Parts: sequence; structure tokens; C-alpha cells
Amino acid sequence: MTKYLEQFKSSKFANPGLILLFILAFVPLFISDQFILQLLISALLFGTLAMAFDFTVGFINVVNFGFAAFWGAGGYTSALLASKLGVSPWIGIFAGLFFSAVLGFLVGLLTLRLHGIFAAVMAWFTGLGLMSIVTNWTSFTRGPLGLMSPMFFDTMDRGPYFYVVLVMAIFSFFALLAIANSRIGLFFKAIGQDEEAAKASGVNPTWYRVLNFTISTAIAGLLGGFYAHYIGILTPDVMKTSQTIEIMALAYVGGRGSIWGPLVAAFFFIPVLTYLQPLMEIRLIIYGLVLIGVMIFYPGGISALYRNLWDRVKA
Amino acid sequence: MISGQSLASLLLAAIVRAGLYTLTATGLSLIFGVMNVPNFAHGELYMIGAYIAVFSFAGLNLPPLVAILLAAILGFILGAIIEKSFFYPLRQRSKRRKIWIMNTFLVTVGLSLLLKNLIQAIAGTKYRGIDSYWQGGLKVAGISISVDRLVGVAIAAVVVLAFWLFLQKTTIGKAIRATAQDETGAKVVGIDLNNIHTLTFALSAMLASIAGASLLSLNPAYPTMGLMPLFSSWFVVILVGLGNIASIPVGALIISLIETFAAYSVGSGWQRLFSLALIIIILLFKPRGLFGSDVKGVWER
Repeated sequence: MTKYLEQFKSSKFANPGLILLFILAFVPLFISDQFILQLLISALLFGTLAMAFDFTVGFINVVNFGFAAFWGAGGYTSALLASKLGVSPWIGIFAGLFFSAVLGFLVGLLTLRLHGIFAAVMAWFTGLGLMSIVTNWTSFTRGPLGLMSPMFFDTMDRGPYFYVVLVMAIFSFFALLAIANSRIGLFFKAIGQDEEAAKASGVNPTWYRVLNFTISTAIAGLLGGFYAHYIGILTPDVMKTSQTIEIMALAYVGGRGSIWGPLVAAFFFIPVLTYLQPLMEIRLIIYGLVLIGVMIFYPGGISALYRNLWDRVKA
Repeated sequence: MISGQSLASLLLAAIVRAGLYTLTATGLSLIFGVMNVPNFAHGELYMIGAYIAVFSFAGLNLPPLVAILLAAILGFILGAIIEKSFFYPLRQRSKRRKIWIMNTFLVTVGLSLLLKNLIQAIAGTKYRGIDSYWQGGLKVAGISISVDRLVGVAIAAVVVLAFWLFLQKTTIGKAIRATAQDETGAKVVGIDLNNIHTLTFALSAMLASIAGASLLSLNPAYPTMGLMPLFSSWFVVILVGLGNIASIPVGALIISLIETFAAYSVGSGWQRLFSLALIIIILLFKPRGLFGSDVKGVWER
């Protein structure tokens, strides 16, 4: 174990997520095509969500299968504040962050006694419950009719939105990476690998599991707020299980426990899936096969592939 | 207040629903108990059963029972093919059991995408329903019951009973239960685990397929029809405890009663929240479900 840690520390490999984010900062200077900008915004949005998802599944080994509901909750909080009380979106997104964090804290408490699939199912059921409330409380959220939400900017240009989501992505990336590389991250991993052993070594799983859930859902809530004021209309569909699946697939294919892997995976999958749109169903059939194939043949995903290649280059 | 008549018809609707949930939840629980696969594609197997039945009944004009039987057989074969082509290679390659459940979870998610879109590519998004397999209705004490639903419930009951007897009495059934309890022990006494896994998945697909076929008049076939039964079977399975097959009919009845009566009294849409709230509360106090099974083979992580 220590040997592995030494190895990991000494191999200071170039983090592809960092490189990607650095390049992206200059993209709008060269590209003004709105369609491509939109694609990049989607990729950043889902990539960041997948990083936050990975923060839970790759570290404490709990699948937050209700993840999309936290995202949606953040979006709805911000959109409701803006449309009912006229609160500025710039303040609303932080209210969304806070609300989702509180929800995540509560769900973290709910799933405490549960392990593996039971915890995943519990998070899923809570998410379904939230979605059910948003769908049916039509007098408040307008349900499936959609809630109008004011935009961040008055312009049709996607450039400013790109920088907003880029800042959020960079912030999340460094925050998650810093925590993951700190002592706390080590405790998370210890709990994920063997909770009993972690307990025996003096790590309090209760506190760290709840903390992990809170951080992950807070980021989801922040991006939910961004989405609300970027798209301009929210329907309960944002909380659908299929949204969670999309995020989860990015996290798995990117490689669990790496933080950067899911981000890179998003920049691969989202453009490809968008450009394959004309293929209709075939597109999702291929997607399904890719997911199955990765899990059978290379469950470590992109980050494990990269690490292996890096080790080979160094050797 | 609910009148006597509508109470009786609500009860009847709940029983029909319970039959459906029992069929799907039994398969779901069995796969988890024996193979430790949390199957997210279970609803798609149900959907395929419905499609097979609608094509053989309305398309080929086969008699209803033949259509349902065909759905059962093809469902069984499809299940076996899926197990052999996806889960078998995955099992050969994965050594760590802890990773297994979470990896298979994503495999079933991919499988669900695959099957759903394959059917959509072949049959389109159209709703394909039938009015009924069997015409006519009975009138008992002022309540009309359609023969179709009655037969649907009867089929569910017979299949579940037969399946339970199969698990309890036959050698193969005992081998399946033995594998669920202790995989190593089962291997030691000479049970071929590969065959048992394939058989289990095939049987579970068959049960889901029968459910989809026999209640076709209630739920017309369309590509995403599997989602609702998937939710509900997970509710039932978690409620009674994963891997606990004997208590599933009870759990199915509880869930369907809640859903039916909640839909009646507070309007449809909210009914799911009631069963969700109930399950969350039960999970809080009894993390292994209501009847907390102690099936040893079910890995916790």
C-alpha cells in the first residue's frame, strides 16, 4: 500500500484535465461558431457533474443514483427565487448550491447505515421522490409545463456563458482535486475500500460519508443553477433517472477515482453523440454497447488507460 | 368516502397490479440473490415480452395462451443469450467481488439502452396495445370484472406458484437456492455455477416476459414501458429485502394497495411519493428490508 502511494506520488504525471481546462480558456478567442460553443458548454457542464459524481462513487464507493435530482433541485431553487422573488441569478445559483448541499447532507444521513446497492437505491428513491414533488406541485413549479427562468445575460452570444461554466468547472476541478489529494481524500478512499478497517484506524465514517455527499451535491446544485439560467426553462425532466445515467456513464468510462477522467470523457462523448444525432436509435445502441464493452474489457476507464500508458512511457 | 362498490373495484385493480409486480420482482430478486447483479434492464425484458405477445397475438393471430407461451419461451432464450454474451465474460474477467456489483450495474444500464433502442429501431415509438385477449366480463355483486384481467391474475398466480415449487422441490431449483446461499459451497458439492447463472438469468427474463405478455391489454407495448414496472419491482424487492423471494407477493400487494388507493384519493402522480416515503422510512429502521432475509450469498457491498 505504501509502496503504491510512493509510486503514485513520485510519478507526478501531467494531469490531462488540467491541460484540457487550460486549452479551453482560449477557445472563444478563436472559435465564434455558436454551435461549437454550445457543444463545449454541454461538455463542460456534464463533465463537471460527472467529476462531482466521481467524487462519491470513486472515493467512498457509493453510487448516488439520485444525482440528477440534486442538480435539478439547485436549478429549481435558483429559478424559483429569480421568477417569484426577482432575486438575481448570480445570487440564486449560490442559493441553489446551498439548498442542494443541505439535501445532500440529509440524503447522506439517510444512506449512512446502508451499503453498496442499498445506498444507491436509497439515493435513487429520494431522487425519485424529489422529482415526483416537482412534477406534481404544479401551482409552485408549474410541473411539466416548464418553469421560465431569467437568463444570465441579455445576449444571444454563447461566449459569456462559456466563461461562466468554465469558471465553475475550474473551481470544481481544483476543489475536488485538492480534497481528494488531502488527508480527507485518503479517509474517503479508506472508507470506500473497507469501512470496518477505516473505523478501526480511527476514521469516523459517519462524518466523512456525509461530508462527501454534501460536497458532491453542492457542486451539482451550483451547476443546476447555471443550467437554469442558461437554458431559460426548467422541466422535471432534468431530474430524470436517465440524466443520472448519462452522468454516471461519463464517470465510469472516464475512470472512477481520478476526478479528471470523467471531464475528459465528457469532451469525447458529448460531441460524438451530438454529431451522431442523425443516426437516431442506432446512436444509443452504439452507446449502450460501448458502456458494456468498457465495463467488461476495461473497467478502469480512460484514466486507467492513461496511467498505464504513462507508466510505459516512463519505464 | 369510498363506496362499497368502488372499494371492491379498487381492491381488484390492486390485486391485478400486485400480480404484475410479483412476476417482475421475483425475477429481479432472484438475479440479485444468485448472481449479485442489480438488474436495471429488467423493465426492458418485460417490454420485450409485451412486444412478442402483441406481434404474435395481433400480428400473427395466434391464440392468446400460445402468444403468452411464445413470449415466455423467447424471453427465456433471450435471457440466456444475454447472460452468456455479457455477464459470463464479465465474470471471467473480474476477480474482486466488491467491484462486481457496481460494474454489472453499469452493464445492465447499457443493456437497457441497447434493448430499448433496438426495439424502437425495429418497431417504432407507436403504442401497440390490444383491447383484450378474452372478451366478456363477469358481474359479481354489482361489480363488473373483465375476464381478461381475471385470467391475467390467474396466470401470474399459477406461474409464481409453479416457480416457487420448482425452486423448492426440484434438484435444479435446489441448486439455484444453494448457489444463492453459498457459492463456494455450491461449487464444492459439484454444482456447475456457469449453468446455474445462465439458467437463473433466463428464468428471470422469462418471468418478466410473461408479465409483459399477460397484462398486455392493461399496458400497451411501447419502447419505454419498462420504466414503471422497473421502479415498482425495485420498491417491492427493497421493501421485503433483496434476495427474499418468498415474501415478494406480500410486498407486491402492499405496494400496489398503496399506489392504487393513493392514486384514488390524492390524484394520480402523487401515488409514487407515498410508496417512496414508506420505503425510505422502512429502510431507515430496517436496512435489510421488512422481512430482512439472511440470504448469505447476497453480498452487502
